[in-house]
Amino acid sequence: METKKKLLEIRNLKQYFNIGKPNEVRAVDGISFDIYEGETLGLVGESGCGKSTTGRTIIRLYDATDGEVLYDGVNVHGKKSKEELKSFNHKMQMIFQDPYASLNPRMKVSDVIAEGMDIHGLAKTKEERMNKVYELLETVGLNKEHANRYPHEFSGGQRQRIGIARALAVDPDFIIADEPISALDVSIQAQVVNLMKKLQKEKGLTYLFIAHDLSMVKYISDRIGVMYFGKLVELAPAEELYNNPKHPYTQSLLSAIPLPDPISERSRKRKTYDPKMHNYQADETVELREVSPGHFVLCSEKEFAQYKK
Amino acid sequence: MSKILEVNNLNISFHTFAGEVKAIRGVNFHLNKGETLAIVGESGSGKSVTTKAIMRLLPESNSEIKEGEILFDGKDLTKLTDKQMQGIRGKEISMIFQDPMTSLNPTMTVGKQIMEPIIKHQNMSKSAAKQRAIELLKLVGIPMAEERFKQYPHQFSGGMRQRVVIAIALACNPQILIADEPTTALDVTIQAQILELMKDLQKKIDTSIIFITHDLGVVANVADRVAVMYGGRIIEIGTVDEIFYNPQHPYTWGLISSMPDLDTAEDELYAIPGSPPDLLNPPKGDAFAPRNEYAMKIDLEQEPPMFKVSDTHYAATWLLHPDAPKVEPPAAVIKRREMYPGFNNK
Repeated sequence: METKKKLLEIRNLKQYFNIGKPNEVRAVDGISFDIYEGETLGLVGESGCGKSTTGRTIIRLYDATDGEVLYDGVNVHGKKSKEELKSFNHKMQMIFQDPYASLNPRMKVSDVIAEGMDIHGLAKTKEERMNKVYELLETVGLNKEHANRYPHEFSGGQRQRIGIARALAVDPDFIIADEPISALDVSIQAQVVNLMKKLQKEKGLTYLFIAHDLSMVKYISDRIGVMYFGKLVELAPAEELYNNPKHPYTQSLLSAIPLPDPISERSRKRKTYDPKMHNYQADETVELREVSPGHFVLCSEKEFAQYKK
Repeated sequence: MSKILEVNNLNISFHTFAGEVKAIRGVNFHLNKGETLAIVGESGSGKSVTTKAIMRLLPESNSEIKEGEILFDGKDLTKLTDKQMQGIRGKEISMIFQDPMTSLNPTMTVGKQIMEPIIKHQNMSKSAAKQRAIELLKLVGIPMAEERFKQYPHQFSGGMRQRVVIAIALACNPQILIADEPTTALDVTIQAQILELMKDLQKKIDTSIIFITHDLGVVANVADRVAVMYGGRIIEIGTVDEIFYNPQHPYTWGLISSMPDLDTAEDELYAIPGSPPDLLNPPKGDAFAPRNEYAMKIDLEQEPPMFKVSDTHYAATWLLHPDAPKVEPPAAVIKRREMYPGFNNK
């Protein structure tokens, strides 16, 4: 781990909505983590926990309320010139959840994919542009003929492939995938996940993989972060998180996933999580602490001593 | 065990501008009293159409039951008039839909919506129906039922709304409950609660459940028996153990191998190649053959019949024919067979 380069550092990131109003929402409430070059970081949690907001804030779809996102040591947020923004957008791309809503129905597939290239001036001639589109289509397992069609002519899995091709068009280093497989059928999910893994190997991509399907997240991720109500409660290598979850919320989340195994299902014991159980006192500082190398848990000093055992 | 529902040779078509879509092509199954039958399959495989046909909820303008019968309580549901059907729907057979956000009426209080079937089917007075509705809200685990009774759906969270939908479905103690992906729109933690609630209620009021889902984890959790659908047919049916530990159809193999369990560490997930069949022109032979690496010549020519594996387990694949060559199923399936001693020696 030490030899790995930090590609992205997220420092005390906050994203509040409706600030100062009675319905203020603290969607992301001071989270910090790093993403190393070439890894896949999974982010899980229930709906409304702020995992998508985190992804969207990192890529600057929202302006962060506080905190910073350092990409290669440079802050993404704050005042930026057009040129600087362009260079970030060039390196960071996003794959969205809903393959039906994220493609413009009035644009041909070739234009959907090439839009980013046009903005960044990556293709000098029309011919070069089309050749790149063809190449991308083949990379994601579609073929040339698909370039002149419209999104409605494709199935969900094929559309998600187009979404991936669009993200790859500007040759990014870092891709945020916001629930890229949730809207797809089981048999198609595996195809898309395999494609993402293959591309990562070939192009050395770094992923932030946001999802609520925990078995798929474990399969694709190197490390996993668990979010609960805007806070990161646990961050650990994938294997470690599943075998040795420390935070009670992580334990409850893991105990709720039904496994495709009737024998183990019959003896399932579900744990429930109540945030009151921590019983934090006002003078205790609750923060992410490292209980074992690479395994961070949100806890107080007292809990920290327990978790370390 | 007595059969409560029997579906025989059901064929349903939709008439579209492009032509006739044969959505259901000869479906046979039965539901035993008190059991949970899970129907799994990808979108477009016909799971929802089958259950909508049982409820007679298919649009009359463009759908047609070409053949077959649905026997419930000695009556063929496909032959009933709309009026007769109204006496069954919501009373004897009721349904829970996928999306609790859209299946409740946003302009009616939750209490009124629960009272509706009670007043309609059980001729109760308003005040008695109100009592019953509050009881039901408590039964499905909604705290402060008296106050919640007067609230509107938007004041409930997703999981709570699904509980309300369940309360409505159970209002008249139906004999059959059809749940069409009841937990797909919910979070895992809420999903676990709803599944527990459904199992608990099933024991209390002894209903039979048809549970539609594409999540094999959920199936393992709730089902007694499982039917796997593909291309408008049931291609394998058996007890939950038989389907998970001794599957026979290559499509079931594919489904099971493509789901990573928590200890999958292989480099690549098994993915079923290709895409679902076009039911506008259903393929000749086995609908799965074009995506099936085990397909033989006969698969492309003739549709396989249901072969018997055990008294409860049937599968439609030519691989079970005595003349078929022995094939090696995917590693994940072999691993599963070994997990369950009963199927090991086969």
